[in-house]
Amino acid sequence: MGYALVLVRSASLDLEAFARATGTHPDLVRRLVALGILDAHRDAAGELWFAPSQVAVMGRVQRLRAGFGLNYAAVGLVTDLLDRIAALEAALREARQQGR
Amino acid sequence: MPAGPRADRRDFYEILGVPRTATQDEIQQAYRKLARQHHPDVNKDPGAEDRFKEISEAHDVLSDPQIRRRYDAFGPGFRQVPEDVDPEAFQRSQAGAGTAGAGQARGPGGAGGFGAGPGDDLGGINIEDLLGGIFGGRGFGPIPGADAEAELELTVEEAFQGGRRSVTLEGPDGRRTLEVKIPAGVTNGQRIRLAGQGGRGSEGARNGDLYFVVQIAPHPRYRVDGRDLYVDLPLAPWEAALGTTAAVETPRGEMKVKVPSGTSTGKRLRLRHHGLPHPRGSAGHLYAEVRIMVPAKLTDEERRLFEQLAEVSTFDPRRR
Repeated sequence: MGYALVLVRSASLDLEAFARATGTHPDLVRRLVALGILDAHRDAAGELWFAPSQVAVMGRVQRLRAGFGLNYAAVGLVTDLLDRIAALEAALREARQQGR
Repeated sequence: MPAGPRADRRDFYEILGVPRTATQDEIQQAYRKLARQHHPDVNKDPGAEDRFKEISEAHDVLSDPQIRRRYDAFGPGFRQVPEDVDPEAFQRSQAGAGTAGAGQARGPGGAGGFGAGPGDDLGGINIEDLLGGIFGGRGFGPIPGADAEAELELTVEEAFQGGRRSVTLEGPDGRRTLEVKIPAGVTNGQRIRLAGQGGRGSEGARNGDLYFVVQIAPHPRYRVDGRDLYVDLPLAPWEAALGTTAAVETPRGEMKVKVPSGTSTGKRLRLRHHGLPHPRGSAGHLYAEVRIMVPAKLTDEERRLFEQLAEVSTFDPRRR
């Protein structure tokens, strides 16, 4: 028995697949890309492609929205701030470790 | 998996830290404050999600005046009390006739046995099923769980050898013990992923992952920098001047290192690839840092020889 080996385009997800994977509507996904909350790559045909890591980003957007009733612009700000805090905490941890 | 109802389920007012007489504004305020603190995307602690869930559950009940009234009257089992039971009548019957009141209020649905006082078991009904999880069931659809993070302190030896280690995490749902596989050659700040052990997804969505951030504990002998290890190599003045072969302790056991003549304090002797291993590359190095030590008390003979050396030598370590 054998399976044909198929080259998969770096496991990127198109808009439909991304919306399915995150349980959201493609219109919402498009809006979040326009707001700069989700990172997507636009190919020559104008189609959106998403890295698999963006599925987790979408999850966080949904949780923050559900937990705090944030609008999507505010979600963008909050995720940026959370990322900056995470980077600062990692740097602080490193600095503390070298200091001792 | 969501745990079943806890026998020690806490009182919703207690969870929000408000008195039973709190106004709706006070309840909202307490909830907002706690939610910001414990939201699993803000607080990476593995227990944060469970606390957030408790807080949300308490808020869901207490923020709706009608549901709150039922909770006040019937206690934690209020969801099993049929809708048409009048809270005031129920309380009067409870006060008057004890358990008999429960039978009187039993509805046609046959829910039965709801006469549980606060703190009693919920009779096998899982509140999470009824609420549909923390994030689900509110018109948001399935939402994947958040990733959580915890620190994992390892000794230099554990980082060197790798292996298994059980780690116990504390949460309001009790303790859970996880087997963590530590790859040989983990470094400070590296993250070990336990797939699906983070926050729970709602409505069948994926669970988040739990990350252990490795922190290598201070070691009496080794200093760690990335994959490189540093160890002191104490030498007698004559060993450093004349050269010698000295034993150095490494995580792999004792090694011999050749000290060239004319070695001063601060010089690093490198043992190639004897630092922490690298699973996908070359191992770090081990550096033996020379420290020249002198006897605290000289014997007469030693003193005589040092004095003789001082007279003969023209060496001046401070000459520029």
